[in-house]
Amino acid sequence: MISLVAVQKSFDGKRKVTALEQIDLQVARGEMLSIVGPSGSGKSTLLNLIGGLDRPTSGEIRIDGRTIASLSDDDLTRLRRDKIGFIFQFFNLLPSLNCLENVALPLHLKGMPRQQTTARARELLELVQLGHRLDHQPDELSGGERQRVAIARALAFDPPVLLADEPTGNLDSHTGADILRLIRDLHERLGATVLIVTHDKGVAESCPRMVTLHDGRIVGDVRR
Amino acid sequence: MILLRLISWPYARKHMVRWLLTIGGIVLGVALLVGMYTANQSVLEAFNRTVEHIAGKTQLQVSAGDGGFPEEALERAESDPDVRAAAPVIEQVVDSGIKGQGKLLILAVDMTGDRSLRDYDLEGGDQDVIDDPLVFLAQPDSLILTRDFAARNGLGSGSKLALKTMEGDKQFTVRGILRSGGMSSAFGGNLAIMDIYAAEKVFGMGRRFDRIDIGLKEGVSLEQGQASLRKVLGPGYEVDPPSGRGEHFESLMSVYEMTMNVASLFALFIGTFIIYNSFSIAVTQRRSEIGILRALGATRGQIRTLFLGESAVAGLVGSAVGIGFGLLMAQGLTASTNAFMEGVMGVSANADHMLVRPWLLVTAAAVGVITSMIAAFLPARNAARVDPVKALQKGQYQVLSAGENRRRRIAALTAIAIAAACLALGRSHVIFYSGYLLAVIAMLLLTPSLSLYLSRALRGPLKLVRPVEGALAADSLIQAPRRTSATVAALMLSLALVIALGGLARASYTDIKEWMDTTMNPDFFITTSEVISSRTYRFPDIMTDGLRQIPGIAEVQPVRIVRINFGGNPVMLVATDSTSIARRTRGRKVTAGDFDEMYRDVAAQKGIIIADNLAQLQKLKLGQMMEIATPSGVLRQPVAGILKDYSNQLGTFFIDRALYRKLWKDDTVDVFRVYLSPRASRSEVKGRILDRFTHERRLFVLSNTDVRSYVLKVTDQWFAMTYLQLFVAVLVAILGIVNTLTVSITDRRRELGVLRAVGGLRSQIRHTIWMEAVAIGVIGLTLGVAAGAVNLYYQLTVSRESFAGISLDYTFPYGIVAVLIPVILGAAFGSALFPAETAVRSSLVEALEYE
Amino acid sequence: MSSRLTAGLLLMAGALSAQDARQIVAESQRRGRADSQRYEGSLEVVGANHKVSKKSWQSDRLGSYGNSKAIIRFTTPAEVKGVALLVVNHPERSSDQWMWTPAIGRDRRIAQQDRSTRFFGTDFSFEDLEERDVDQFDFKLEGDEAVDGAACWRIESKPKQSKSSQYTSSRVWIRKDNYVPVQYENYVKDKLVRRLVEKDIQNIQGIWTARLLEMTDLGRNSRTILKLENVRYNVPMKDDDFTVQALRRAM
Repeated sequence: MISLVAVQKSFDGKRKVTALEQIDLQVARGEMLSIVGPSGSGKSTLLNLIGGLDRPTSGEIRIDGRTIASLSDDDLTRLRRDKIGFIFQFFNLLPSLNCLENVALPLHLKGMPRQQTTARARELLELVQLGHRLDHQPDELSGGERQRVAIARALAFDPPVLLADEPTGNLDSHTGADILRLIRDLHERLGATVLIVTHDKGVAESCPRMVTLHDGRIVGDVRR
Repeated sequence: MILLRLISWPYARKHMVRWLLTIGGIVLGVALLVGMYTANQSVLEAFNRTVEHIAGKTQLQVSAGDGGFPEEALERAESDPDVRAAAPVIEQVVDSGIKGQGKLLILAVDMTGDRSLRDYDLEGGDQDVIDDPLVFLAQPDSLILTRDFAARNGLGSGSKLALKTMEGDKQFTVRGILRSGGMSSAFGGNLAIMDIYAAEKVFGMGRRFDRIDIGLKEGVSLEQGQASLRKVLGPGYEVDPPSGRGEHFESLMSVYEMTMNVASLFALFIGTFIIYNSFSIAVTQRRSEIGILRALGATRGQIRTLFLGESAVAGLVGSAVGIGFGLLMAQGLTASTNAFMEGVMGVSANADHMLVRPWLLVTAAAVGVITSMIAAFLPARNAARVDPVKALQKGQYQVLSAGENRRRRIAALTAIAIAAACLALGRSHVIFYSGYLLAVIAMLLLTPSLSLYLSRALRGPLKLVRPVEGALAADSLIQAPRRTSATVAALMLSLALVIALGGLARASYTDIKEWMDTTMNPDFFITTSEVISSRTYRFPDIMTDGLRQIPGIAEVQPVRIVRINFGGNPVMLVATDSTSIARRTRGRKVTAGDFDEMYRDVAAQKGIIIADNLAQLQKLKLGQMMEIATPSGVLRQPVAGILKDYSNQLGTFFIDRALYRKLWKDDTVDVFRVYLSPRASRSEVKGRILDRFTHERRLFVLSNTDVRSYVLKVTDQWFAMTYLQLFVAVLVAILGIVNTLTVSITDRRRELGVLRAVGGLRSQIRHTIWMEAVAIGVIGLTLGVAAGAVNLYYQLTVSRESFAGISLDYTFPYGIVAVLIPVILGAAFGSALFPAETAVRSSLVEALEYE
Repeated sequence: MSSRLTAGLLLMAGALSAQDARQIVAESQRRGRADSQRYEGSLEVVGANHKVSKKSWQSDRLGSYGNSKAIIRFTTPAEVKGVALLVVNHPERSSDQWMWTPAIGRDRRIAQQDRSTRFFGTDFSFEDLEERDVDQFDFKLEGDEAVDGAACWRIESKPKQSKSSQYTSSRVWIRKDNYVPVQYENYVKDKLVRRLVEKDIQNIQGIWTARLLEMTDLGRNSRTILKLENVRYNVPMKDDDFTVQALRRAM
């Protein structure tokens, strides 16, 4: 499902900083893995590359058989929209939109008819047990609820790939556990491939596969 | 200071483009201020210098409006025992006929008697100014030029120079050169001296002088001399020191100045909003920076000072650039002010260099800095209120000064109520202008609430166009009303101005067209110059009969136009054959009185018709007794009727020409209005007129179309300010919208990032930003049109009460709005292009991490 | 006592000599008197830059000192041909002067206040061309002095009213033999500004007449020479020919 071959990423600044070096990673369909490592080890960068938010300096990334490098910006966006769901540490909900609208955002962006969009968004929110909070604005929700909305948004198109960047990082441990349970639940029910970047040992160890990064290199890849 | 360098400079450098846009308003305002004043001062100074240099030792000047007076007055003046010397003068401005040399001021004097007042031989040396005085007097083609003018054009003693005269183009001979300095610097050196009796002939004046320059006997005070001369000459004459002419010129110019003042004031006002906007935004953006500074121990006062200091620097830079631009503008403006004074007012100054007053530059810089600091005051206060803990928290927004809306709304409603009361209450200027000011303040206070309301209202329609992009664009506006409303306010103000001026122009156009249709309806106007308003040369009376004899001409109406002093203002006096005029201008708009009756009274020399603007300006009523000073005593007659008339901004009197001839002892003619017989061919009659007269005199046969287009051109010139305003409005729209969007995008970087992350295509992002910009345009337009409708009402009142005196009907200028809509929306859209591109091209990863 | 007498005698002597001076001037004027005079004048102005300009005129004068009227009509050069000047003298005040310029087709009055102005580019001022009424001046005989070998009285004159003349004082040399004034010097304050020398003195019809007048303007360093030709006295002339209307008539 996801394939990285000799991927390298460096940032041009006053000094050239290499964030990722010679990454080779294969993730099969339906796998759920965690990426761990200390701050600055390159885990978020890796996730951004996989999610198509950023492009590698060299190397090849394939998502569902398509090479990212050959895609135009808009094609990449479409790929992201249709195949990848994102879950962020800071939720990244639009504060001006209510829950329903936030979830419906990608559906609208794809141009889905209004009625269908609303129905689908409602369905998704019910999926994350927020069917009763459709009209609430993000700032009226608790952190956990916000993350659920974000997850519902990420699931808009039943993406085969779900990427989560520290999904519990901004939550208390109890809520974090809830969210993790939800993600695992969705993984099992929908069969999506899930990648979770985390530095929470508990979260990492709850995944069947754990990839460890250090200074931009993969130093461990453990399956349970 | 150190904070400015450490904290502000890097920020300014990073946002250089925006920073420059921000100070644009100050640049514009200061530039207009400096440009306008410099131009006006230059023109005024040039005029005063000319007057002063020409006046020489003259202590008093005798004049009688701009129509001159009979020669006999000279003997009467001479008979005054207080008078030491009395020198008659004719002053005319003519085309030099030399390319690039412009106008030449002809000073016609009696050289045999003039030297006791004017020093022609300034260096007192051995050489004569005039080669041979007898030849100079004997030959009417004699001219004395200034050394500068002669040198510039390679002319010397004996050279020929062609000037236009009543007898057609005529060769003049240079018979003297005036030394440099003193008098020769009058009128920028474009001065020619001529014999006064030759000038009477050349300019077709008859035996009339424009002025008598008086030197008083020793020991006679100015007041004494003035009083005794007034007694000797009678009421038709004005006796004033030469400086009085400058004041007169200034009063004519003040109308022009006023329009320019309004423009400059608005630019500064608008500039204030742009700066306010930018600083508000900067404070929001630099919240965390402020938080860090506060955490490190900066006091609230220091933070406030930091932002005020920044605004002072911005104001200073803006002023400096503005002064530079202003001085550049002044060069063009000087020329146009000159042209305006010449074309519309018929007086010429020939300003040849710019007069830059240091105090003006200092004032302008101060105005720029103070404006900027006032604009930054509220944002600076908000900056000082930033809570360091909240500011340093990620993802936390501190809402600054919420809940002000309600207070503002109440204040606005109060202001509206008082403004309405002012309108209902009073005729007094103070009350009226206070009401006007309050209305403007109310509009400004209401802007945030209204723009919020409109943003909400727009959400639906925008969502319909594009569900996601539209909603997001509207939400962006709703979220940050402050960001939007300052831009909207600036836009609203400038549009209100454009609409009011445009409405004024349109209403005037409509009225002027009607006036031309009913009044300016002869087939031909025979004039002494290409432009109908020029009154340099005149026709003799005998030409009237000559014209009447030409086959194809049905009617000839000789018209004499002079400017006289009435109620302290230069008012126009038009003397015509009233019976004939009445027959031909039956459709004229009457303000008061009965058309036929008033003309019967005028023809019987029992009454005077006045223009409605004169009635407005000087509060004159039908039947009121007028006292007009004439060279033969005071003319006392009642107002027989009031007509709508656009001949002169300061008002017009209409009397019968027979009466004028009797009282002014002047039978010359400025313009012949000629009506053709029904089947006569225009071109044939024109040819006949030219054949008959061109060999003996200079004349122009202007068709009705020529005159109409000239009048419209002058009107256009008058309203050229509207176009300048339109330009400023568009500039403001662009400045404000670019600024707002740039900031909006910076503010919403993460939001836009999310949009892209969850599947927003580039085109969709662009659309959001474009829609936001257009929405700002729509809101600004809506409020601007509303404010314009109100402003137009006030402007019409101002123009009626305070200067032109013309009462115009309220007609909303839909045409201008129709132009404004695409222009402003286009500008809005155009100004969104660059910010939108920045948004789609920025790094997604950074955008998502951004906080 | 004696000093009082001496003072009285001195006063008398002063009065007497003043009386004499006035009488000399009056006699000089009397001898030059005629009912009318006609001559053709030619004028040459030699400026400081040695530029020479020439003009000629014909002059008619009716009446004599104090009451005369004169018309000068310019004949050359072409530019000034036809220009005419009418001077009407009054015994009690300064003269009235009018000028006719045919090219402009009108007459003009020459303002009284400008009599110090130079007479059309010559070194004469308008005032210099007027005849002086002896009653308007105080005279003082300063002594005897020869001019060009001829014995003369030197007489100083001062205007009684300082404003009636541009000069503070003048000096005239009058020949003792024929009472012809041969030289004038005019002063402003104590500075000599103009000198007029009269030469070529001939007896015409019993009247001693100077046919060459040379005026020097010392301030401007230029001089004007006026030559009189065809001088005739007591030519029949009419009063009507000396009016502003007559001025317009061609010669």
